[in-house]
Amino acid sequence: MNVVLAIVAMILFPGGLFVMVGSLAYEYVDRKLIARFQNRVGPRWFQPLADLVKLLVKEEIVPAGVNRGLFIWLPVAALAAAFTAALYIPMAGLAPTWGYRGDLVVTVYLLMMMTLCIGLAGANTMDRFSIVGSTRALTQLFSYEAPFLLALLGPAIAAGTWRISEVNGYARESMWMIVTQPLGFLVALIGLMGKLELPPFDAPEAETEIVSGALTEYSGRGLAFFRLGRDVELLVGLTLISAFYLGGLANPLQFVLKTIALLFITAALQSLFARLRIDQTVGLWWRAGAMLALVQLLILIGLKTLGVHL
Amino acid sequence: MSTEMTLGGMTELLKPWTVASRPVSDTRLEVVTTAADIVPAVGALKSVQWGFLSAITGLDLSAPAQAAGTAANPDPGGSARNGGGFEVLYHFCRGPSVLTFRVKLPRDTPTVPTLSAVVPSALIYEKELAETFGVTIEGIPDRRRQFLSDDWPTNLYPMRKDFSPGSAEGIAQAAPVAAAALERRGTPGTFIVPIGPQHPALKEPGHFELTVDGEIVTHAAIRLGYVHRGIEKGAEDRSWIHNIYLMERICGICSHIHSTAYVLGVEKLAGTVVPPRAQAIRTIFAEMERVHSHLLWLGVAAHEAGFDTLFMYSWRDRETIMDLLEEISGNRVNYSVNLLGGVKYDIDAKGADSLRRGMDFLEKRTRHYLKIVTNDESFLRRTRGVGNITFEQANILGTVGPTARASGVSRDLRVEAPYMAYADFPVKTVLDTRCDLEARFVVRINELFESYRLIRAILEKLPPGDLAAASPRRVPEGEVISRVEAPRGELFYFIRSSGGVKPDRVKVRTPSLCNWAAVLSVAVGHKLADIPMIMVGIDPCFSCNDRSITVRRRGGDECWSWEELRRYGISYYGGEA
Amino acid sequence: MLNDVFASLFKRPFTELYPYATHPAPARLRGKLLWDESKCKGCMLCVKDCPARAIEIDVADRAAKKYVFHYHIDRCIYCAQCVASCKENALSMSSELYHLASTDKRKFTEVYRGVGKGACVEEAGSEGEAP
Repeated sequence: MNVVLAIVAMILFPGGLFVMVGSLAYEYVDRKLIARFQNRVGPRWFQPLADLVKLLVKEEIVPAGVNRGLFIWLPVAALAAAFTAALYIPMAGLAPTWGYRGDLVVTVYLLMMMTLCIGLAGANTMDRFSIVGSTRALTQLFSYEAPFLLALLGPAIAAGTWRISEVNGYARESMWMIVTQPLGFLVALIGLMGKLELPPFDAPEAETEIVSGALTEYSGRGLAFFRLGRDVELLVGLTLISAFYLGGLANPLQFVLKTIALLFITAALQSLFARLRIDQTVGLWWRAGAMLALVQLLILIGLKTLGVHL
Repeated sequence: MSTEMTLGGMTELLKPWTVASRPVSDTRLEVVTTAADIVPAVGALKSVQWGFLSAITGLDLSAPAQAAGTAANPDPGGSARNGGGFEVLYHFCRGPSVLTFRVKLPRDTPTVPTLSAVVPSALIYEKELAETFGVTIEGIPDRRRQFLSDDWPTNLYPMRKDFSPGSAEGIAQAAPVAAAALERRGTPGTFIVPIGPQHPALKEPGHFELTVDGEIVTHAAIRLGYVHRGIEKGAEDRSWIHNIYLMERICGICSHIHSTAYVLGVEKLAGTVVPPRAQAIRTIFAEMERVHSHLLWLGVAAHEAGFDTLFMYSWRDRETIMDLLEEISGNRVNYSVNLLGGVKYDIDAKGADSLRRGMDFLEKRTRHYLKIVTNDESFLRRTRGVGNITFEQANILGTVGPTARASGVSRDLRVEAPYMAYADFPVKTVLDTRCDLEARFVVRINELFESYRLIRAILEKLPPGDLAAASPRRVPEGEVISRVEAPRGELFYFIRSSGGVKPDRVKVRTPSLCNWAAVLSVAVGHKLADIPMIMVGIDPCFSCNDRSITVRRRGGDECWSWEELRRYGISYYGGEA
Repeated sequence: MLNDVFASLFKRPFTELYPYATHPAPARLRGKLLWDESKCKGCMLCVKDCPARAIEIDVADRAAKKYVFHYHIDRCIYCAQCVASCKENALSMSSELYHLASTDKRKFTEVYRGVGKGACVEEAGSEGEAP
């Protein structure tokens, strides 16, 4: 891959600018859908962009007692990880920029970086609310990460490969895996919501209990990066799940339709439930989530051994 | 009710500690006792489980009494002044009956022993008395300030007659309490999560110090007084008519019931007979306010649980009742319906029609919310079995209102001591015995149905007649107690007139104050995530609680530029500006 | 709950795009205070009963019943006690003039000059803008 193309990929497409604009657009759709579910008007199309710009121009206040370097660089690391993950997935329905054997594991790892950074950022701050929020974020990380990985593993096993582009290709050829592996789909989608701390799994940043959780002391640029990173992860996560479970992404039109459909379901789930307490979240994941994922895997492996082709 | 439990029976029971005893009316008994005897007297009351401590009123008797002529009045209490001492009144209520202990104290060393060993809920009222009047409470278990701010000068008592809010001398000279002297709360090694005074969970400021161990709360303490506005003191400086509007603005959600309690009390003192149509209209407004308050609470409680969709839906439907209130009275909040002697606004045929349609719509929606609250799995996980206040706890801690009724304690003044039009249009008490948060939801929603029914019933048979009767500008001398059922529970007003154009004392004891003790005792052992839900379960109204004054130091511009404010903020926290 | 949430997608949003879309105010709305000079007898009950001291009346000519009515828009709490106290029904509250906010303190005092047994002439203080 020559250097020029690599730089274009990282800055313009599919990384960098494209993913940034795309994630802001998806945040808008998400917020608008939730608003309409709640019988409100909702924001206008440029609201997420306006929020981002506003945060970027505000003064960043570094609270006393924190490790300054960590405080400044953790949001950058989180955002960088999210952007990097975008390079390995079939963004916009086109082939991933880079791929190699095992890039599925790398992508999942990169997606996990965000939560890890949030947890560290919260522990770094001396504020009570940040400490409680960081504890909850890391607890939630431990509980949903394993089932989420297992759920993404299902299609990989069915396709017989660890490479995302090959799983995508396999998904395009065979029946939609939402039909053949429904349990896996459920776990993957709910896992994505847990990873992004979307309601009802937003205990780590429960506004009415711990102000803003780990991000309480963040303002200005740091907060902007964390929020943008979360939106990018939303986009990346939706792309990944629709590529795996909704019959692969062959072209930009399929990409838009399938990811928006998933976003619609996610927005509906966000509006339907009350917030789960952290112990209820962990209980749910460690019992229901992991169990379902394991059962799905066992069924899959069993069928494969028997030679049934899905 | 056995004879022992009547007021007459109480006179007998309390004989050993009584200096003088006087039945003021068939529902009120006053027992004069001494500071030394108050604890055993209350103990005797508690041993037969008669009533609960509803309020403690402090009186400064040193203002000169205005000779007001001898108008016949129902409560000629307190006219024999003892030349400038203090008087502490302890009001115990049981249903419609009120038993008041009066303790006279000398001016230079006013001291009473604490009741908190016998009556745990007394602590909150005694602290208010100590801070605002300067009465020393012996044996009080903890000395932290509760209402006045920490930098309020010591030895300066706002409710004494010799303190006037305008006088700056006392305040300017009194040195502020040094920051180091402010007591450090919590012991080292404990992890304290402060909820408030600034917190997204609180719609008004209050401070809750929760000591947590992981996610479990091990200790809870409270600090109120952040929206203290000097209302009781202000009432002594304003005419009887002006005070209607002052009392109305104690709270936005319970504004009508505050002004109603006030005007009912003043009308009793003045002997005004209010026309039945006015009483009926007041009752309709009180019920409409209850509907508004409960719908608002439903939304807020849902928001605290993270259930924003229910919050949005219930507040959308709340707009219906607000529009109705605006249509009939002219304002969505602070309806200002009451006059001394009646009401200002009539409900005409068109208004009645809109009301009926509104009630039908709201009833349909409320049924839907009842289904959600009792069936939605995720919501039930946050409310079922959470925040249990047992029947005994609710009784002993003196909880009132829907909080008490959800624990099976049947306290509802509209039923026990009907006032306004409740005698002609009776209300059914809504009780639930499950004692948890879900019960509080169910009780409030069922009260909504009762309110809809009542409004329709009154509209059906609205008595004809005048809207207001004439009311004198000088209210005859006397004392009156006015108790009404606010949406949050029993609202207690003690009004004292010395025969002039301004009241001598207006004491307001709001229902939220009664319920804090229950929250604090229940909080321990619950998870941190449940605390906002438990707090919102009692439907707290901080504006109702607080009634202090802030310190305005003499000199210095009151108007700050942004730069000055920023520099002040940085230097306050010990940084370099 | 599910039905509500999906049905809401197809319903018109309940929130309004104020100020581009407004709601007509009810007839009884307590907006700005209006003084009917022809009915005023100068008894000053409104001045006495106002909880916010928002009304001041100067007597320009007692015999001709000519008064100057000063109304402080910023002090008024819109309780309508003055309307109830006035036995001549000289006071009323507008249901159209309620956009009374301003960044200029001078606009908050409305002076109505009576002409004695005639129509009321308002001074150019400020007119609350009708929506």
